[in-house]
Amino acid sequence: MKGFSYRWYGYIFLELIIFLALFNAPGTRKRGKDLSAPRVYTVEISGMKFNPAALVVHQGDKVMFVNHDLVVHDVTEAAKKSWTSSPLGVGKSWSLNVQQSAVYYCSIHPVMRGSITVK
Amino acid sequence: MKNPNYVSLSCIGIILASLAFPLLVNAQSNPSLSDAEVASVAVAANQIDMSYADIAEAKSKNTKVLKFAQTMKRDHAAVIEQASALVKKLGVTPKDNAVSKKLLADAAQTKKTLNDKSGKVFDKAYIDNEVSYHKAVINTVQTLLIPDTDNAELKQLLQNVLPALKAHLGHAEMLQKNVVQ
Ligand SMILES: [Cu+2]
Repeated sequence: MKGFSYRWYGYIFLELIIFLALFNAPGTRKRGKDLSAPRVYTVEISGMKFNPAALVVHQGDKVMFVNHDLVVHDVTEAAKKSWTSSPLGVGKSWSLNVQQSAVYYCSIHPVMRGSITVK
Repeated sequence: MKNPNYVSLSCIGIILASLAFPLLVNAQSNPSLSDAEVASVAVAANQIDMSYADIAEAKSKNTKVLKFAQTMKRDHAAVIEQASALVKKLGVTPKDNAVSKKLLADAAQTKKTLNDKSGKVFDKAYIDNEVSYHKAVINTVQTLLIPDTDNAELKQLLQNVLPALKAHLGHAEMLQKNVVQ
C-alpha cells in the first residue's frame, strides 16, 4: 500500500509541474485565468430548431452547426448579416470562429433563431 | 400474488377501452385512409403549395415574398422526395381518394383567384392563403393522416414534417404582419 501512495504522490507532483509550465507558457498567458484551449461547441439543427439555441462561449471558441433536418437551412448573423454559412444541405456542417456575441437566424426560415454570447 | 395480477389486468382493460373509444369516434366522423391513400394526400398537399409558389414567382416583385416562395418550393420538394423514396421502399403506390381529390379541387379554385390578382393585392392574397393553407394542412396531418397511418416509418415521416409546416406558418404570419398589410 505504501509503495502505491508514493507513486500516487509522484503523479500529482508531475501534474503540478505540467500545470505550472502551461500556465507560464507565453502563448497561454494572455488568456489570463482561462487555461483551456479554444473549445469546439456543436449546435444541431433539427425539427426546425437550433439546439442548443443559446450558447455561452469564450472569444476564439468554435461553434460547429450540423444540419440533421429534412430541409436546407442556413446560419446568418441577424443584425447586420455580417456573416453567413450560406445554404447548408442536409447532413452538412459549418463552423464559426467566434469573435463577438451575436444573434443569428436562418434566412430561409426566419422563425428559427439562436444566440452566441461571448463571456 | 393473485391480487396484483387482477389489478394489472383491469388496468390494461381500462387503458385499452380508453384507447379504443376515441378511435371508434374518429372512425365514424372521418373516412379511414389506407397508407397508399395517406401517401397520395401527403404528396398532393406538398405539390399544391409548390404550385402556389410558382404563381408567386411569376407575379410578385417583393423580395421577401419571393424568398418565401423559394423556401416553399425547396422544402416541399424535399418532403415529396423523402415521401416518394419511402413509399417506393415500402412498395406502396399512392392512391388518390376523396381527401386528395378535395384538396386538388380547392387548390384549382384558389389558383384561379390568385392568377386574377397582381401587385400588392396579389402579395397579400398569396400570403393570406399560405397562412390558411398551412393551418389546414397541419390540421389534416395531425388529426387525419398520422392517426390513419399504419406503417411506422410513414407515420414517423409525417411527424417529422410537422415542425417544417409550423415554421412555414410562422414565416407566413411574419410576412402577413410586417410585409403585405
Ligand atoms: Cu432554416
